[in-house]
Amino acid sequence: MRSVRPAVALLLALMLTGALGLSGCTKGSTDIVVSGSTTVEPIAEVAGEDYAKAHPGVSVLVSGLGSSAGIEAVGVTRTADIGTSSRDLKDNEKKLGLEVIPIAHDGIAVVVNPANPVRNLTLAQLRDIYAGKITNWKEVGGDDVPITLVNRDESSGTRDAFTKFVMGDTAFNLDAVVLPGTGQVREVIRRTKGAVGYISEGFVNGQVRALAVDGITPSPANIASEKYPLSRKLYFLVRKDLSPEAQGYVDYVLSDAIQEGAVREAGYLPVNPKGGPRK
Amino acid sequence: MSAAYTPQPLTQQTLHPEDEGPFPDLAQTQPRHKTAALTLVSRATQIKERGLLLLFFACAIVAVLGVVLIFAFVAYQASGVFPNIGFLKFITGTKWSVAHSQFGVVPFIVGSVVVTIGALAIGAPLAIMTALFLSEVAGPRARAVIRPAVELLAGIPSVVYGFFGVTVVAPLVARLFGGAGFGPLTAWIVLSIMIVPTIAMLSEDALDSIPMGIREASFAMGATQWQTIYKVVLPAAKIGIIDAVILGMGRAIGETMAVLMIVGNAPQMFAGLTKPIATLTSQIVLGMSYAADDFRTALFGMAALLFLISMCLVLIVRLLSRTGKEG
Repeated sequence: MRSVRPAVALLLALMLTGALGLSGCTKGSTDIVVSGSTTVEPIAEVAGEDYAKAHPGVSVLVSGLGSSAGIEAVGVTRTADIGTSSRDLKDNEKKLGLEVIPIAHDGIAVVVNPANPVRNLTLAQLRDIYAGKITNWKEVGGDDVPITLVNRDESSGTRDAFTKFVMGDTAFNLDAVVLPGTGQVREVIRRTKGAVGYISEGFVNGQVRALAVDGITPSPANIASEKYPLSRKLYFLVRKDLSPEAQGYVDYVLSDAIQEGAVREAGYLPVNPKGGPRK
Repeated sequence: MSAAYTPQPLTQQTLHPEDEGPFPDLAQTQPRHKTAALTLVSRATQIKERGLLLLFFACAIVAVLGVVLIFAFVAYQASGVFPNIGFLKFITGTKWSVAHSQFGVVPFIVGSVVVTIGALAIGAPLAIMTALFLSEVAGPRARAVIRPAVELLAGIPSVVYGFFGVTVVAPLVARLFGGAGFGPLTAWIVLSIMIVPTIAMLSEDALDSIPMGIREASFAMGATQWQTIYKVVLPAAKIGIIDAVILGMGRAIGETMAVLMIVGNAPQMFAGLTKPIATLTSQIVLGMSYAADDFRTALFGMAALLFLISMCLVLIVRLLSRTGKEG
């Protein structure tokens, strides 16, 4: 008696979970698999949830494995319907015959405390600052204030991009404060006179000042035209045999609902902004 | 917790039912005639009794299983350190760079040790003196205010401590010493407050378990209250207080969220009180979300190290309590 009841309960529980699992498999008739860049992940996820809600029977599965893995998944192994990438295709990847669809612009702003008189840095100066070769603002025409470096953690897509645009093979100065979020970077720079950091342009507000790099300000127009050195596009990559459901999802991502919503919320700029560039 | 310091009546009753305990009536009716008593009740009650005992046993086993499973899992995941990274390179390496596949954890061990020792140096005296005040000096009214306050301190989630550190302590340190305010000093201040409840509550238990007669004897000899505290009460409660400090140390070394938010997370050697560093715990959290292959193995290696450290701390506490009881 006392051993039977728990056993029955366990059996019931198992049957219920099994039933749930089965129903999950049979109900979702179409899966759209989106795979690739972690930078694109938040946009793809928000759009995926909304799209699946509006289209019963369709589910959007988003995974962030990195741009290279995404391009391979859609172009080579064909395990994904849509690949996402935060970089341009390399020469050997162009041969895969994928259609490249820009879905957002991203510009990384170099930000300092508003009290800092420095307005512009060259790419080389920026690299030397982050490598620890330049340690005082007076070396780049500012006040005699030591530079406090603020860096992002290694899982950050923004750090990846900054490394690619600015550092190349040069190693970061390990003395930098490593913060795990854009908000924290902004907060520390707001209250620290000698601090310098980098965040997506969409997150720059009145608390920090974005510097020009090589004389070009990170304005939305300069980022869209990629004149600003720290700018890039985020892409969807699709094969020619794209399913109608997946095409619908791509169209939804390019619609104003996502472009002016999730794209801006993630700190990026829409590809075709309503009524021209902002500001 | 207090059971550890006032165990006599309990153990006597449970282990030696034939002894006449402090409550002879109870001892006679319950433990001694246990089997006889059970035959008098119905079979259903007997089954219920057995069932409940089994339930308690199962609950106790869950804790043991948990420890064993977690340790086995961490050890298994970390075992890759030996072939893939090299144990010596891992444990004596001073360079940590994921991009260059360098996984030396010395900076993090040093970071954890620096943060823990500093937090203890500030927090332990604070906590022990709090315990002394509560146990020896304070009147009932002061105690009624201070003890709940200290206990509440233990209930604050560590992320809130971290938030306090980021928004209050770090800017203050930055204003006084320059830089961004992240580093060991900030961590010391926040962590020392965090470990106060652990050490204070356990120390107070230790102090309360000292029989009143000892203090009265000391007063009778003409000792003042301060002399009684530091010549009689403190030495008598020494083992219990050391236990408390070691457990506080365990809390400090294992603390993750608050440390992550205030220590600066720079994977470099300790070089100054206001220079950012990283600890074993903070580095594991930062890396866990995206680590793969050797990097992941290294993080599990660090987790195994932490596990070993806390096991050693528990072992020391156990050994100390044993010698304390014998002496």
